[in-house]
Amino acid sequence: MTGKTALGSTSRRRAIQGGMAAAAAAMLPAGVAYAQAANIPRNLTMILIGGGSRDGRWVDYELWNPYAIGANHQNGPNLIYEPLAYYSAFADKWYMWLAESYQFTPDFKQLTIKTRQGIKWSDRTPFSAEDVAYTMNALRDLGPKVRWGVDVNLALDEATAADPSTVVLKFKIPSPRFFFFATYKYDIGIYIVPKHIFQGQDWSSFKHFDIAKGWPVTTGPWKVTESSLQQKVFERRDNWWAAEQKLAPMPPTERHIWLPMVNEQNTAQAQITNHSDFGNVLQPATFPTVIRQNSKVTSYSGQKSPWGYVDWWPISLYVNNQVKPFDDKDVRWALSHYIDRQQLVAVAYLGAATVSALPMPPYKPLLPYFDAVKDLLAKYDTLEFNPKKGDALLEAKGFKKNGGRWETPDGKPFSLDIIGFGASGSAMGPVLSEILRRHGVAASLTLPPNFDDRFQKGQYVGSIYGHGGSIREPYDTLRLYQSQSIAVPGAHAVNFSRWKNLEFDKIVDEVYVTDPKDVAKLKQLFVAAMEIWLPDLPDIQLVQNYHRIPLNTTYWRNWPTEDNSYINDASWHLTFPIVLWNLQSA
Amino acid sequence: MRAVYIVKRFGVFLLIVWLAATLNFFLPKLSGQDPVRAKLLAEASLGGYVHAGLEDMVNQYQKKFGLDKPLWRQYLTYLGAVSRGDLNYSIANYPRTVVGMIREALPWTIGLLGVTTLFSFAAGTILGALLAWPRAPRWIRWLMPPLWALHAIPFFLLGLVLSWLLAFKFQWLPIFGGYSAGANPAWDWAFVLDVLRHAVLPSLSIVLVSVGGWALAMRGMMVTTMGEDYVTFAEAKGLRSATIFTRYCMRNAILPQTTGLALALGQILSGAVLVEAIFGYPGIGALLFQAIEENDFFLIEGIVFTVIVALGFATFLLDVVYPWLDPRISYRQA
Repeated sequence: MTGKTALGSTSRRRAIQGGMAAAAAAMLPAGVAYAQAANIPRNLTMILIGGGSRDGRWVDYELWNPYAIGANHQNGPNLIYEPLAYYSAFADKWYMWLAESYQFTPDFKQLTIKTRQGIKWSDRTPFSAEDVAYTMNALRDLGPKVRWGVDVNLALDEATAADPSTVVLKFKIPSPRFFFFATYKYDIGIYIVPKHIFQGQDWSSFKHFDIAKGWPVTTGPWKVTESSLQQKVFERRDNWWAAEQKLAPMPPTERHIWLPMVNEQNTAQAQITNHSDFGNVLQPATFPTVIRQNSKVTSYSGQKSPWGYVDWWPISLYVNNQVKPFDDKDVRWALSHYIDRQQLVAVAYLGAATVSALPMPPYKPLLPYFDAVKDLLAKYDTLEFNPKKGDALLEAKGFKKNGGRWETPDGKPFSLDIIGFGASGSAMGPVLSEILRRHGVAASLTLPPNFDDRFQKGQYVGSIYGHGGSIREPYDTLRLYQSQSIAVPGAHAVNFSRWKNLEFDKIVDEVYVTDPKDVAKLKQLFVAAMEIWLPDLPDIQLVQNYHRIPLNTTYWRNWPTEDNSYINDASWHLTFPIVLWNLQSA
Repeated sequence: MRAVYIVKRFGVFLLIVWLAATLNFFLPKLSGQDPVRAKLLAEASLGGYVHAGLEDMVNQYQKKFGLDKPLWRQYLTYLGAVSRGDLNYSIANYPRTVVGMIREALPWTIGLLGVTTLFSFAAGTILGALLAWPRAPRWIRWLMPPLWALHAIPFFLLGLVLSWLLAFKFQWLPIFGGYSAGANPAWDWAFVLDVLRHAVLPSLSIVLVSVGGWALAMRGMMVTTMGEDYVTFAEAKGLRSATIFTRYCMRNAILPQTTGLALALGQILSGAVLVEAIFGYPGIGALLFQAIEENDFFLIEGIVFTVIVALGFATFLLDVVYPWLDPRISYRQA
């Protein structure tokens, strides 16, 4: 039937047909770049659900330059850009990689790096010392425009390729930790980029993505064959230099499919149904459910609590040391005495966590430093639950209890507004607030969307946050509390707790110029620093942070575990390639 | 007269777009948050480590995005850019552009919500009409109570139940995603079927919830229409039952439904946020949700602007098309 209308003789049928065609066209996927996929069976494929994605999509699928401001090395570039070296804090082991060796001058103002020979980028251009020197100098010049730029700019004067396999870095200041800084561990390390591709590009916006051209180019064993909102696919390159040079076995997985995480429920279901081999972090309560339905799923701690490993990020209750009454160390200690950390672990994490006495994780290379302050910790027990001691400290400061609630010396309620974010905020925040309320402190919790901004600007009273500090020796943790530095001119002070102690700052500067291998001297300095830090207690120690990652052994085994602790197993960390070349077919 | 009418309507459409664009520009800024700072802080503290020189970095990017300029200047720049179809960069995903991000999310949303909206409309309208029609088969009436009950359930809740039952328990359908892991996105039947298979669960959760609503509205209109004199007259003339049902009753009762459909089609661009979130469907609703989470002003502005333009355009089209659907309505002024 044809509808004669005021608009003319347009056929309704034609209109409907047009609409259907438009709808069909709309169904076709957009935002996809791919190469023809090889036919690789499931038992040679690893399917991973990645946590760096957002709401079920890889928004950064085009960004394979990890220095671009919206890019994130956690979402795949960590497989593409190989480092000068890897470091495993779990095994306390170095893996010299693109660099064969390195040597500092005695004053730590010059570093000579020998790079390996026989390495080629995936476009067949030889990798050389020029790439390293170019990366370092570019970072120095770009400074605040890109990640790591300011860190390099503070230290580096000039990097020069003395010959194709020798890089000489001259520093403005002694930089004994520069090589370690550049080494891949957790989320820290300098990505060495191909000079022939990056030169002349604007690093902050260059995507380094064109599958037809073979971009991103890499020295690693993986090439990107598809990258879309829905998945990132990597296929194995069979001419990986590290396998040829017998530095590592060729990874047994021929293909990786990285899917974006949707939510915890889907991640758990995918593990149960063997649709994924590696999931993103799950809550402690989810693990028993998953394992009950699929006995092949395990975790770093096996099929038992705490279902994961201790991350490098011990969590504290920060109080702003510039806000009254928290500028008083006795008030901070009183709060510490009110917190029953065992109860916190039992309720917030169903027992699947451990407490943390100091703001650094108990990793093997750090244990000597824990030992060195054993006596101090006995005297200043940061984990002691003793409400009576807390009461006594507050009373001595003129606080009074009224109807079970503390009042400050000027008669106001003793309140503590805590802010938090992410998993730690939502898991611990309510429990911690309730524990403090039961001891008379009017504690409250909010999880503001601008947490980072408020916390880092010091616009908070109380906060739940961790410490991205030391994993090998104590400098990086001590640095977190330094209010100013003379050893590193222009250095940015982290100092989240807004605590200030000039004597402490001096000790940290001395730690900075000490050779990281000089454990005896570092121990001595660490004790001196802790003699100031512990009585003052700038922030209140709570628990270790755990990464609870489900690992499916249906197709792949030899994942890192407590008994086989060669590295931590987070796919988002820069060291994930170590897991991949250690995996074995099930 | 017709041209004047269309020009006037188009003028109203432009006015709506300008007003919306203006509100769209100023409203996110009332939050007082600094998206560049928030993004850089989140990036900088990636994995717990805090980078040096954050303030310098923030200043660099404030400058780059023009956020260091006075508000009126930002507004003028924004209007100029919008009129050229340039919705700027996404702050949180720089150097990705807002237009690019919307362009890749839109097909998924249009595919999912466009098809489900049209299907729900068609099924609900026919069911509603039959429900009011006394000569309709009796079994039709048994369909309606469950559909009305489902209409009261939010999309996402039904989605969760369907996902557990059909994807997890029976494993008939995929758990999440737009297509299978490892599938090669090519223009072939295997891939199209794969995409359609992944669309079944989210579609089902939307259709099952929506059909009841369309049916309920249509039933009400049909009851009113069937009481009109022209229907009685048609019956008295001895016209066939099917003719009375389709040409006299449904055609007249469907007009308010059509208005509803136009508005619903305009709204599909805002996506079904929670459904997309549950099934990992990479549509525009989830993108908007993410933009709000990250205070990505430019992305929020871009999506909302696109939705407003779509709604405004749908209304404009409706104004133009209505006389075609109902000859009683003319382009002449009352």
